[in-house]
Amino acid sequence: MSLRGGSAIIGYGETVFAKAKHSAGRSPLGEQCTAARLALADAGIAKDEVDGLVAIGPLDHGPSWSMDLAEYLQLRPSFLDTPYFGGAAGNAGILHAAAAIQAGLCRTVLLVGGSVSQPGPPAPHGVEDSVSFERDFDTIFGPMGDNSAYALIKRRYQHEFGAGEEGFAQVVVNARRHAARFANALLTTPVTVEDVLNSRMICDPLRMFEIVMPCTGAAALVLTSAERARDVRQRPVYLLGGGQAIDRGMWTPAYGREASLTTSPIKRSAASAFAMAGLTAADLDFLQLYDCYTITVIVALEDVGCCAKGEGAEFVARTDLSSTGTLPVNTDGGQLGRGQPYGACHFLPVIEASRQLMGRAGALQVADARFGLANGNGGAMANQCTLILGNEIP
Amino acid sequence: MSFQAAYQKPLPQILPETAGFWEATRRHELVVQQCAACGQRQYFPRLLCHRCLSDDLAWAPVSGQGVVYSFTIIRQVLHASFAPDVPYVYAIVELAEGVRLIANVVGIAPEQVRVGLPVKVVFAEVTPEVSLPQFEPV
Repeated sequence: MSLRGGSAIIGYGETVFAKAKHSAGRSPLGEQCTAARLALADAGIAKDEVDGLVAIGPLDHGPSWSMDLAEYLQLRPSFLDTPYFGGAAGNAGILHAAAAIQAGLCRTVLLVGGSVSQPGPPAPHGVEDSVSFERDFDTIFGPMGDNSAYALIKRRYQHEFGAGEEGFAQVVVNARRHAARFANALLTTPVTVEDVLNSRMICDPLRMFEIVMPCTGAAALVLTSAERARDVRQRPVYLLGGGQAIDRGMWTPAYGREASLTTSPIKRSAASAFAMAGLTAADLDFLQLYDCYTITVIVALEDVGCCAKGEGAEFVARTDLSSTGTLPVNTDGGQLGRGQPYGACHFLPVIEASRQLMGRAGALQVADARFGLANGNGGAMANQCTLILGNEIP
Repeated sequence: MSFQAAYQKPLPQILPETAGFWEATRRHELVVQQCAACGQRQYFPRLLCHRCLSDDLAWAPVSGQGVVYSFTIIRQVLHASFAPDVPYVYAIVELAEGVRLIANVVGIAPEQVRVGLPVKVVFAEVTPEVSLPQFEPV
């Protein structure tokens, strides 16, 4: 059984993102309930019709979050999931939900995630709660959380392919340019390549503007069967293909010569998604790529097949990635332009893809968009989940 | 030999499957596991071979010679105990024998570190039980 065209996104909702210092009085439950209410209203779906729930809680919450949220909202789902593996979890939750819908476990799934960002530096990965090999063979050497993991990838990339800084900076320029025109974005000041290069070096070679800013917010969407989607308020956005891949662990490239830091499992997750959809990279009208750091966009463009391995930075520097450009990328501003509300960020690529394919992107609308890609990235590029979506079933 | 008075940074827990590694570093020797069944060398130490799942593993000495595979210069700490070291180098080192390790590169100005820099292991005696492998330029 293929998931091609069997289910569709019929609505979405987001709370108003806020910087940590402006988050007083907001709670993860409040954020997620608000996003859920907005998504159901957008879809025109009554609460009682929801029979599946996929919920991603805050990082410091355990994997019982979907049960907790079901109780809080008094939902009666017959399908529950709490995907809990970093930024690929949102897209993976959609794959799980789509499979459940087609298997008859449920018909209409509410997917939601979000959290509240606290002021001050993020808590270090706890020595107590990290997996033993991370604690005993990595944490002892003073990593800087995700920053150092992605810094290692960028450094190696620049070494292997001779890439300078311009392509990386252009990823930020593109994100901020879109964010400036997007309603729910926090980093709305346009920047130049020079501004990015002049931003503070945090975790060399990563500069401040290349690193996502944690923030508060939640996002939700509604996925239902293609049959049910025939009679809804919004234009249905069909799931045409999907794939998840973990070809290596987060730390594997640090431990074995056989693993690459610069080729990601997107190669396999995207290949699966394209094969299921019956489409290729050339058919895409846009890409929404999980951009917690600049390097993810460059590696993703290569591994999806938009350009050759090693040419991603140069490709970004010479290609118009704007909503009116030759290859629109991250047309909502991405996380580098919007901020990163943990849990919600997992769903932002697929929500922006839906916004575009429903024709609701306003000033940032990609003209005549039919097919798009949304990618989720977790575990320092170790875990990838790629979706192909369309407003028609080709 | 003098140990740092009160070592504040995170320390490894010594587990049954990793004790041999930490006993070796106390002797200023670097070892990795080698699978008796398939010959695979692996780092970090595990309960079984990640290639063939055999649990017949032995400790194999390695040269401690390698090159910097990738690195970052940490300029802002997450764990406060590392603050006195800033800026410091957090790196992946690829040993001549093929395995890679995460460690710090020391004994060189951070700005001088390059991918491909030849390095050799040195040991930082941080507590009576634990000596950490570090790398400095050859």
